[in-house]
Amino acid sequence: MEYLEFKITCSPSYREILIAEMAGIGFDSFLETEAGIDAYILPEELDRKDWEALIARYKEAAAVQVSEGVLPKVNWNEAWEKHYDPIAVADQVYVRATFHPSKAASFVHEIIINPKMSFGTGHHATTFLMLSWQLSLDHRHKKVMDAGSGTGILAIMAKKLGAKFVTAFDIDDWSVENGNENFEINGLVGTIMQKGTVRSVSKEKNYDLILANINKNVLLDELPTYAGDLSAGGLLVLSGFYEKDIPEIRKAAEEQGLEYRDKKCSKQWAAVLFSRTH
Amino acid sequence: MAKEISGYLKLQVKGGQANPSPPVGPALGSKGLNIMEFCKQFNARTQDKMGQVLPVLVTIYSDKSFDFVVKTPPAAVMLLEAAKLKSGSAEPNRKKVGAVSWDQVKEIAEVKMPDLNAFEVASAMRMVAGTARSMGITVSGKAPWEE
Repeated sequence: MEYLEFKITCSPSYREILIAEMAGIGFDSFLETEAGIDAYILPEELDRKDWEALIARYKEAAAVQVSEGVLPKVNWNEAWEKHYDPIAVADQVYVRATFHPSKAASFVHEIIINPKMSFGTGHHATTFLMLSWQLSLDHRHKKVMDAGSGTGILAIMAKKLGAKFVTAFDIDDWSVENGNENFEINGLVGTIMQKGTVRSVSKEKNYDLILANINKNVLLDELPTYAGDLSAGGLLVLSGFYEKDIPEIRKAAEEQGLEYRDKKCSKQWAAVLFSRTH
Repeated sequence: MAKEISGYLKLQVKGGQANPSPPVGPALGSKGLNIMEFCKQFNARTQDKMGQVLPVLVTIYSDKSFDFVVKTPPAAVMLLEAAKLKSGSAEPNRKKVGAVSWDQVKEIAEVKMPDLNAFEVASAMRMVAGTARSMGITVSGKAPWEE
């Protein structure tokens, strides 16, 4: 997969105007440079007619010059991933990459994550909080769902804690590929990372535990589906939002018949436990 | 002791939609920053501004950590929204494509105040009106200071 790269020089006073117009035709992020703007888009998402009309519109007034190139899709997070430090959760779980020495003898569980541009190494407060919740919940012989899996770290933790089986999925191509690699490295047999959302993937009914570390808007949107997929007495752990967002998440969960149980917080981030009572 | 700053990055990203694709991925990744950490934080902080283009100034420290400040949406974006337009004019001086009121200009100016080099709303309004003119958007009626 490749991105189209547009390096645009323009009069400084027109930079924001061009960004506003490009956002309207499918570009979603921009790098401001000394000379103007760098912008990227997938070839199938670019309407050439709209793009050429836009540039023609401002070419003279904004002294616009465009150089077009192609940028191959690579793992841009590699520099950080090569040097990330392992972490320990509650002296029970050690999360490391394959290039770190093992400490399996000193911890109850060891998880190996080679992240490859996917989220979930335990460094972020939300992943850490989710792992902490998992350590306090009984996973043995349970059916577990990990929604928005990223690296697959929570699914791997669930299996190591004795889950009978785990449904894991993510909408991102990198995560699906990376999650499956991490499942293999950690010896998960029969667990496959699917591509999609809670509404589109193939899944079971009556989950005992659903884990979702995504973001507030996605969680609010998907809460009714999580609630419907839980068994009576099943547990739901949500994260990816701030402590200040708890009331909104809690209200939405309670509207779905879920009961607020408890929260864990760190660095303003929250992970909240709900249960389905009937 | 304050951390040593090694550089800055100026990005504009749609609220709640940061992802590691370019330019975010290569710009942050080439400095050794954890792209995924940035995306998670940016998206959580901008959940109430979903899909709106937001300028973000990233401060990079020598230990590969970072901070960022999310600024107010560009005036041009807000003007297009206020005038219910998809695009500006090819000939802004001769061909006008839409109009906004001075009240709308004031609203935009008040949102933009923290990021503009202006001490008074009237100065910010003049800047916003200037951007509107460059896009072929008329500001209808008399400016408050002309009345």
